[in-house]
Amino acid sequence: MRELVSLENLWKIYPVGPGVPALKGVNLLIAEGEYLAIMGPSGSGKSTLLNLLGCLDRPTRGQYRLGGEDVSDLSDNRLSEVRNRRIGFVFQSFNLIQQLTVVENIEIPLFYSGLSRRHRHPRSREMAELVGLSDRMEHRPGELSGGQQQRVAVARALANDPLILLADEPTGNLDTHTSGEIMALFDELHSRGRTIIMVTHETHVAVHAKRVIHMLDGQIESDADAESLDTNK
Amino acid sequence: MKALHKINDILLLGLHSLGVHKVRSALTALGIFIGVCGVIAMLAINEGAGAEAQRTLRALGSTNIIIESRKPPQDDSKATGRSWGALNYGLTKRDVTRITGGSVPHMRRYVTVHQTKKMAYLAGKNLSISVIATDPTIAEIVRIKVQAGRFITSADMLRRKPHCVITAPLVRSLFGYENPLGKTVRIGGEPFVIVGMLSRLPQALSGEGAEATDSVIIPRTTGIDRFGELTVEVRTGSRTYERVEISRLILQMEDENAVLAAAPIIRSLLERNHDQEDYDVKVPLELIEQKKKQMFLWNVMLVTIASVSLLVGGIGIMNIMLATVVERTREIGVRRALGAKQWDIIAQFLVEAVTLTTVGGVIGIGAGISLPWLIRRYLEFPTETSVWTILLPFLMAVSVGLISGIYPAMRAAKLDPITALRHE
Ligand SMILES: Nc1ncnc2c1ncn2[C@@H]1O[C@H](COP(=O)(O)OP(=O)(O)O)[C@@H](O)[C@H]1O
Ligand SMILES: [Mg+2]
Repeated sequence: MRELVSLENLWKIYPVGPGVPALKGVNLLIAEGEYLAIMGPSGSGKSTLLNLLGCLDRPTRGQYRLGGEDVSDLSDNRLSEVRNRRIGFVFQSFNLIQQLTVVENIEIPLFYSGLSRRHRHPRSREMAELVGLSDRMEHRPGELSGGQQQRVAVARALANDPLILLADEPTGNLDTHTSGEIMALFDELHSRGRTIIMVTHETHVAVHAKRVIHMLDGQIESDADAESLDTNK
Repeated sequence: MKALHKINDILLLGLHSLGVHKVRSALTALGIFIGVCGVIAMLAINEGAGAEAQRTLRALGSTNIIIESRKPPQDDSKATGRSWGALNYGLTKRDVTRITGGSVPHMRRYVTVHQTKKMAYLAGKNLSISVIATDPTIAEIVRIKVQAGRFITSADMLRRKPHCVITAPLVRSLFGYENPLGKTVRIGGEPFVIVGMLSRLPQALSGEGAEATDSVIIPRTTGIDRFGELTVEVRTGSRTYERVEISRLILQMEDENAVLAAAPIIRSLLERNHDQEDYDVKVPLELIEQKKKQMFLWNVMLVTIASVSLLVGGIGIMNIMLATVVERTREIGVRRALGAKQWDIIAQFLVEAVTLTTVGGVIGIGAGISLPWLIRRYLEFPTETSVWTILLPFLMAVSVGLISGIYPAMRAAKLDPITALRHE
């Protein structure tokens, strides 16, 4: 399979005080179509890693290649383009814009890629249908349940058909039942060939993935198949 | 094409978020509205006053120079010109010869005016009127329009005809609504036939005072014939006479340049030959130029005052936009995460600011146009709205939006996406 993500000795040191090293030389290869969970204790650098993968931030040192292109040191404009075209981001707190309807929220990445309104609309409706919200298109986020809101966020992340779907604790704000729904959606997306990388600290979420990485103190502690997870823990 | 779509979309986006905060947007736009409205009204009033002044000055004739006799300030210790209880002052025939005898270049023609007070008598009615004896060429020099009948002619002059042209208010008091043409009226005891009628006396002849509304114009030669050389004004209620040889001398110059060159020559000629200021040299062109300069200064001042009000409006907008940026930090982070470039964020907030001021500006123009109209209609004050009195405040409003929007927009765009996303 084609290699999609390649991290080589990646460092992230936050310029706070003497410098807070959040990532200390991470090496990671991710192929197309993988379904990866990143686990680890709080403060171990999971979000930092995901933000770097999502081109929301630049590494202090090391190289990040995405789809064969070195994206470790791009200009702000180019990074925005990469985020827009190649990355789909799902947040723990949904991050929908409250004043906009479901379809309008899904249209945001299409808007920034310069798609005309005429073409945006059918695409965002298509995405809303994909996540099972065809009857909620004109609703505003406040009128939806948490699970529904997160599904809107997933639809929005996928609107521009990105290379990877990144999710930082996507079920962190959801109850067990709705978490299951969102994970079922992820599983389905994976089965259709979507590359998914998610951060979670919950084993029952991580088991959905095919590969699990454990982070500790800014480094990858272990990298294994999901079968090795002790589901009883 | 793509860029065009995007501009259109960003505009809609800006309008959309303004619609979310309707009251806040309306209040912010109100500040600009008041500013724009005020500027338009102020400029319109000033333009109106200026245009009116210019019209009156132009009516005096921009190529004319008017020299008037003026009663000098009363000073009894200086007994100059006093003889037999009469006060002599003003322009003399010698002055006319000096001025028109070749020392003033590029003069086209001139005319003298002799004005005196007489009693008019008709069918039992007695009225004190002002009699103006002058040449028929005056009609061309100061643009006299006859309302009915005709003006005095050179034939009247030659034959010293007892013909007169009468002003409308006097017609009203003497004849009511009867046709006065061809009728005879006694003026200073002499019979005169009315040959024409004027709606009112031109400004060059009436001077500033309204005394001359009841006037007749007669041929200069007839005046000399019937009433003598000297123009004598009897001051009623006082025992002194006033003697004035020439009431007015009106010069018509070849062009406006000649006017400006002639004015100082005339002034110094008169200064040398008069030991008191018993004359007044009026140069409409100079007054027009002066008026223009004055108008410009007023405009600058008004625009400055108005700019202050717009500045206050601009500060209001900047304040609101800064608050908006803080309030929407999270949204900015989300948009950045989804691919918005810094420029997209700047454009979004600028459009909001400019839309606010533009809406305020457009409504301000609407009210700003009707305000001068109302002032003209109900306060009967002349106002004038031109393209620039409307365009200038509007452009000022839009620039205020741009300028006050730039800083908040830049701040929004410079936010770090991750920090913005974490904002509560
Ligand atoms: N913006 C930041 N500035 C300074 N330190 C940060 C910042 N973000 C994260 N950190 C630090 O980096 C380390 C890793 O954080 P994070 O990646 O959020 O961990 P996790 O998501 O695994 O809980 C922590 O010690 C955290 O305090
Ligand atoms: Mg985290």
